[in-house]
Amino acid sequence: MSVFTAILIGLASGIVFGFALEKSRVFEPGVILGQMQLRNFIMLKIFLAAVVTGLLALAVLNGLFGIKLHLKPLLFKADIIGGLILGVGIALSGACPGTSMAQAGAGYRDALFVILGGIAGAITYGYLDAPITAAFAEPGAKVSFDTMLGMPFWLTAVLLAAILVAFLAALERMTSWRTEIGSDVDGLMAPKDADVPAGKTHHA
Amino acid sequence: MPALNDRAWSPYVAGVVIGLLQIPTFYFMNTALGASSSFVTVGAHIATLFDSTAANVKYFASHMYGAKNWWQVAIVVGIALGAFLSMKMSGARRQTISPVWNRALGQSTLGARAPIAFLGGFIMLFGARIAGGCTSGHGISGIAQLSAGSTLAVAAMFAGGIATAMLMRRI
Repeated sequence: MSVFTAILIGLASGIVFGFALEKSRVFEPGVILGQMQLRNFIMLKIFLAAVVTGLLALAVLNGLFGIKLHLKPLLFKADIIGGLILGVGIALSGACPGTSMAQAGAGYRDALFVILGGIAGAITYGYLDAPITAAFAEPGAKVSFDTMLGMPFWLTAVLLAAILVAFLAALERMTSWRTEIGSDVDGLMAPKDADVPAGKTHHA
Repeated sequence: MPALNDRAWSPYVAGVVIGLLQIPTFYFMNTALGASSSFVTVGAHIATLFDSTAANVKYFASHMYGAKNWWQVAIVVGIALGAFLSMKMSGARRQTISPVWNRALGQSTLGARAPIAFLGGFIMLFGARIAGGCTSGHGISGIAQLSAGSTLAVAAMFAGGIATAMLMRRI
């Protein structure tokens, strides 16, 4: 495929992606920080809804049409240490790499600094990649839950999707996304409501 | 029905739309949805402006050219465009910085926010490149492929994020 075609496909997918990120409000620092403080679950809701859809789409693409999956290898040290560092960055940025771009598009100016910092971090990593990869080296097999369970991919994917849907239904029953989204759709609930002790919350 | 000029969609509708993007991605691009390696592609080209030997760094060289690398750069540029269009259509214009930063860290100006934003972005991408993916590549795509490594990386992301956010003021 030519780079030009790839860029057109990327732009089209990205515009849909950015549109959905903006509409869902998951790009809001208030939503992301609220998730990390375990008081706003919109981020988990959209994340798991995307995972469920992906599971079902891939169950069909892989199970019916034989389209190849692209698993990343299981690297305990790199996954845990890298994941922890990434999480610290997500909390300080109020963004993840994709949503920082949505923040910039929606008008948050500090997102430009997150993006510049991200580019600087990526450049720094690039220079240090050889020693870091050597330090964290592991055989790194491509381990997946379906092979661990000895079940077909499509069946495991459909079962996990069903479990996640049940979990999402319970999560939504606990707190509706309409409450969590806040009056200015930025994930911020009124401070006095947010500070009411758990036992005294009322359901509107 | 969700409309294009709504200020907010249900997270379930938006999540389904994002999940469906795996179909063209696997079908046309023969890869999974991701975002963080685009920062390496752009960063590698910027590095060559300051360091004439940067293109010899293996990690940079593997991210600088080709359809998949530029496809992902187009994805993140598209994300900014899509979010801009969506905001324009709904009129949900945002202030310079989110009011959450005043609540969480007492930062109410861009000047106060910028250093932490830059540092946060730096740490975020540095960690993502160690882990080999971010919320998109490991999260949305990795778990949808039942990857054990991606699930572990996502658990670590949330652990790091929760530990850090809990040190801030409650929002």
